[in-house]
Amino acid sequence: MGNAEEGVETMKTGNALRKGRSWLRLPKSRREFLDRAAYVSLGFVAVLLTLPFFAIILDVIVKGLPGLTPTLIWESIRNLGREGGIRNAIVGSVELVVIASGVALPISIGAAVYTTEYSRQGRLHQIVEFTADVLAGVPSIVFGAFGYVFFVWLLRAFTGGATLLSGALTLSLMMIPTVLRTSQESLRAVPITLREASLALGATKWSTTWRVTIRACFPAIVTGILLAVARIAGETAPLIWTTGYNSDTPWSIFDAVASLPFTIFTFAMHPDPVVNAKAYAASIVLILIVLSVDVVANWVSRRVGILVRKG
Amino acid sequence: MSAPIHRAHLPGGENATLEDLRNLSQRLLEALTRMVRLWYERLFGPTARDLLGRSLLLLFSITTSLVIVGIFILLWAESLPALSSLGLGIFGPVWDPNRNLFGIAVFITGTLWVSSFAILLAVPLGIGGALFLSEYCPERIRLPLRMILELMAAIPSIVYGLWALKTLVPALRNTFQPLVSYYSGFGVLAGAIILAVMLLPTVVAVSEDAMRMVPDTLREASYALGASRTETARRVVLSTALPGIGAAVLLSLGRAIGETMAVLMVTGNSLVFPVSIFDQTYVMTSVLANQLGYALADPLYRSALFSVALALLLVSVTFTTLGRMAIRWGMRRKGLRR
Repeated sequence: MGNAEEGVETMKTGNALRKGRSWLRLPKSRREFLDRAAYVSLGFVAVLLTLPFFAIILDVIVKGLPGLTPTLIWESIRNLGREGGIRNAIVGSVELVVIASGVALPISIGAAVYTTEYSRQGRLHQIVEFTADVLAGVPSIVFGAFGYVFFVWLLRAFTGGATLLSGALTLSLMMIPTVLRTSQESLRAVPITLREASLALGATKWSTTWRVTIRACFPAIVTGILLAVARIAGETAPLIWTTGYNSDTPWSIFDAVASLPFTIFTFAMHPDPVVNAKAYAASIVLILIVLSVDVVANWVSRRVGILVRKG
Repeated sequence: MSAPIHRAHLPGGENATLEDLRNLSQRLLEALTRMVRLWYERLFGPTARDLLGRSLLLLFSITTSLVIVGIFILLWAESLPALSSLGLGIFGPVWDPNRNLFGIAVFITGTLWVSSFAILLAVPLGIGGALFLSEYCPERIRLPLRMILELMAAIPSIVYGLWALKTLVPALRNTFQPLVSYYSGFGVLAGAIILAVMLLPTVVAVSEDAMRMVPDTLREASYALGASRTETARRVVLSTALPGIGAAVLLSLGRAIGETMAVLMVTGNSLVFPVSIFDQTYVMTSVLANQLGYALADPLYRSALFSVALALLLVSVTFTTLGRMAIRWGMRRKGLRR
């Protein structure tokens, strides 16, 4: 038996494996046995990796669904979570994310536009990309520590201490790298011919950028924004010391605010099992918010794929 | 200071009439309008808008770069009092704010224990899963698996923490208490397991990307030489994708060190040096999350906490940046640049 014949045999086995036949047949050689063993064990590993997802989702749904009542969503917290609901936390989280996006999006999209459309491949370009990459690697608790000493302490005359504004500004720093890098990549994917056509018609660089280039890659930019929003909506660590505590929804950006993730944390660490059950219900709300933003982002990016393929 | 207008200065000289004067004033008015329009164009016209917008965008770009610089400078300034007054004593073994003892060695040890066990769990499993997804898996199964992994990455860490606190810790306690009588379920093992679960999506995604970047011609060459699928996967794909896999390890190490909430909830947070995976521990992120707000009044205490933050920042940024560089380097080396 030459090696060549064995190779042919392996190829056949491979094809047969893919069609799902020949599993009943005993392996003919040690190599074939190893091949099948690797297939089975790696497949087992891959399935094993997804088990925690189902375990966690099922656990949260089973323990949280009974507590997911209209009261929970429409009433604010009372008596440290023993009574009332989480309306203050839901509203607070939404406000935090909206304000953070309002600050971070112009800055990061503007920076992306400048680096891809205006600057040449040079020093500034490299610096912006490198600092964004470094910023993306900063742990969330370090953002929290920075926000605590910068926004809450040093700028307390401006932010009012631990307030909605301080928390939102801290979160906005976390959004910058994601939005910046995804916007850059989507701007780069726009064909140069579009820009040239616009410039040839006499448009300035400015109007070409905003009326042609950005429009062409708008869905891709939206995808990046949504991913960043989904990420910061679930962040707890930056908010522990920056938002203060509020059992009601804030009246202004200079009021303390409650956030959904931190409320889940306090509910989870609470000694009372009734409050623990509310942590699960609140988790369902948080997961629904985060995953729906994520699914929308996925859907949008898939639409982009279709548009690009159509040309 | 302008000289008074004499008839002699006007067009038409001495014989200028009222008509000429009116003409002149009209021309002057026109010139003025033209000048105003010109300056308006210069200040607010399309070209000006272009320039103005351009400088605004430049300002934004500089701002984004200044954020990380600001974080570094502020953390450095905040931790300077502790670093200068304690010197190397900052790495001392005892942390007791009441006795003014600020040694952060116990937190560094805790972070090392939890992160290294998490990496030991997550990396082999993650690479195995990535190998299956990229080399063996039919497309029909691959897409749902990848989607689940993406969703896993999207679940907030507080939810992982909740699950670990209420389900994983009791399960571990029930399993191991017969063997280790003092085991409470909290500690290195629980932290490492939940951290590994949180790292898996990153490890799988980054290393699978690296494996799929391996050109099919290499695989075909290997098949043509008679290698089986497993031999190809191990000898050709794995070795070609090695820089990408290294990047996955580095990136996940950076994330493991910086992860806060889930670890905080399950490691027990006691100030001891762990000697086994059943011991409780206290990691760097947890001490920041727990104590930062109480340290404002005491400058040395606050400064010691900020030196923990600075150490976290440096280590985590180093690993993440190295990981990204490894990805880029690997692509360039194989000529697979996107």
